[in-house]
Amino acid sequence: MLSIIVSSLDKEKRPKFCINDHIDVLIEILKRLDGRSLGVAASVCRLWCSVTRNDSLWEHLCFRHVSPPPLSVRPIVVALGGYRKLYMVCLRPVLTRLGRRRVWTRHEVELALSLFCVDYYERLMVGGGVVKGGGGDVAPSSLMFLFKAVNV
Amino acid sequence: MASSISTKTSSTGGSSMHTAKPPPHHSNDAVLYNTTELSTWVDSLLTEFNQPASHFPSTLNLPYSINPDSVNAWTEPNTTSFYETQQIIEEDSSIRLVHVMMSCADSVQRGNLSLAGALIEELHILLSRVNSEFGFGKVAGYFIDALSRRVFKPLERSHGSAHENEILYHHFYEACPYLKFAHFTSNQAILEAFDGHDCVHVIDFNLMQGLQWPALIQALALRPNGPPILRLTGIGPPSLDGHDPLRETGLRLAHLARSVNVRFAFRGVAASRIDDVKSWMLQVDPKESVAVNCIMQLHKLLDDPSRIDNVLKLIHSLEPKIVTLVEQDTNHNQPEFSDRFREALYYYSTMFDSLEACKGPQKWLAEIHVQREICNVVCCIEMHETLANWKEMMDKNGFTPVYLGTNAYKQASMLLTVFSAQGGYSVDESEGCLKLGWHNRPLIAASAWRPNSKM
Repeated sequence: MLSIIVSSLDKEKRPKFCINDHIDVLIEILKRLDGRSLGVAASVCRLWCSVTRNDSLWEHLCFRHVSPPPLSVRPIVVALGGYRKLYMVCLRPVLTRLGRRRVWTRHEVELALSLFCVDYYERLMVGGGVVKGGGGDVAPSSLMFLFKAVNV
Repeated sequence: MASSISTKTSSTGGSSMHTAKPPPHHSNDAVLYNTTELSTWVDSLLTEFNQPASHFPSTLNLPYSINPDSVNAWTEPNTTSFYETQQIIEEDSSIRLVHVMMSCADSVQRGNLSLAGALIEELHILLSRVNSEFGFGKVAGYFIDALSRRVFKPLERSHGSAHENEILYHHFYEACPYLKFAHFTSNQAILEAFDGHDCVHVIDFNLMQGLQWPALIQALALRPNGPPILRLTGIGPPSLDGHDPLRETGLRLAHLARSVNVRFAFRGVAASRIDDVKSWMLQVDPKESVAVNCIMQLHKLLDDPSRIDNVLKLIHSLEPKIVTLVEQDTNHNQPEFSDRFREALYYYSTMFDSLEACKGPQKWLAEIHVQREICNVVCCIEMHETLANWKEMMDKNGFTPVYLGTNAYKQASMLLTVFSAQGGYSVDESEGCLKLGWHNRPLIAASAWRPNSKM
């Protein structure tokens, strides 16, 4: 996918076409990428970095294989930190652990969302932002199990 | 502890006899046990111990087993390596540890505390010969410690402060899936019970830091017809040191609920014993649908069955739509101390086995949580009951089971796979209840109930 875009930047062979002038096309292409490629795309240039940070791309990725969620889901995910964070922090590790990289169902998304919510809550505990001098003894790490090396 | 002079007669099932195998030649220098075999090994040792003519066991369900020939073999330098020798010594000491611990438990039961004391001295010596950093040595260390308390300081209760207990509980929550399983399964049952109700009230008998509730709040927020108005009443121990953890937890949960647009109200009830809670404290409105959540709480009342009946009567009077109950699934309530001790040894070896498989930066705090439980069980301050007995108690008090559906089962299985990709944990469904175990030994059981109109 990316190689096609790169070759389109080769000005000598083709008429002047720069994908960066057509952000809507870029977004359409990025919408079809998997999570890892989106991450790679973010490192291409500053413009691409800001485009890939667009949360709707990640929303599209999270629900790609799942029937469109009700509208009520978005404000909740946004309140808890956004789709990109949901994907990176919860959904991707959950899918990896379950061995489902390509296709997944709403059950995996629901589980990831619950874990995401617990993590948000634990950050509230540490931040002490809600409660003055709140019991922030424990760093939010109930999701640590998602990041430990899998013992094969 | 009532002492009984008569010889104890007990029968334990599951004897495992295997033909002796010669020790394999190990080329690495790992002087440790295959910990996944730990619990079956302990169980087999304990069943061995109960057989009348139990002398040096030669048939054990070990990956390698000891027979007299191999013990002599280490004097011949050609046949075994140094490391095999170490292993043999260590195994020998561990086996002896179990036997001496059981003898000690036996003497405690018979009231012979001086003999018990002497055996504890011997246990300390034996313990020094095994690796007490992990595997069976570690579990044995905790049990020996608990036995010394039982023998030398029986009246001293090992209670941390409420704050300490919360921290340990939190680490236990993080290090292993037991509490996550309890929370997720209960939440699923509550969610299903609240379907179609717009005014709901959850009563949590042990709020701790409220880790169970964010996921429920979020799930309610995503209900197809919109979230209900949610009230949460959290019960917890009174705080003696100035801050108000119940209120702080309530504030955090309220903040979360506000972020996801769920109308939420919180109320904290401080009670040092859960049977001190009275229904007027809970302020249940007749128009709301109530759920009662009881995770690892009811077993604290097992010292006096009428206390349990009182709490269940109170719960029944609230007319909840659902009562979620999660408890350890084991019998640490036998009248005979040595039976209780043996059961605890098996149960906690299995639990530590499962903890070994978890990696985590502060796992040791979770282990302290379990260690305290071991101490309480051995000192007979804390008792546990099997799921079957809990079912009987609930039934006796006018509750009928609500079957936990396939959604709960699927979620639990997924959670476990995510938690521990290398396996070992297992979820089983049994008559509508879900049990979480390690290598098919169930450790904790979740069930749901509703009051019937019998009472």
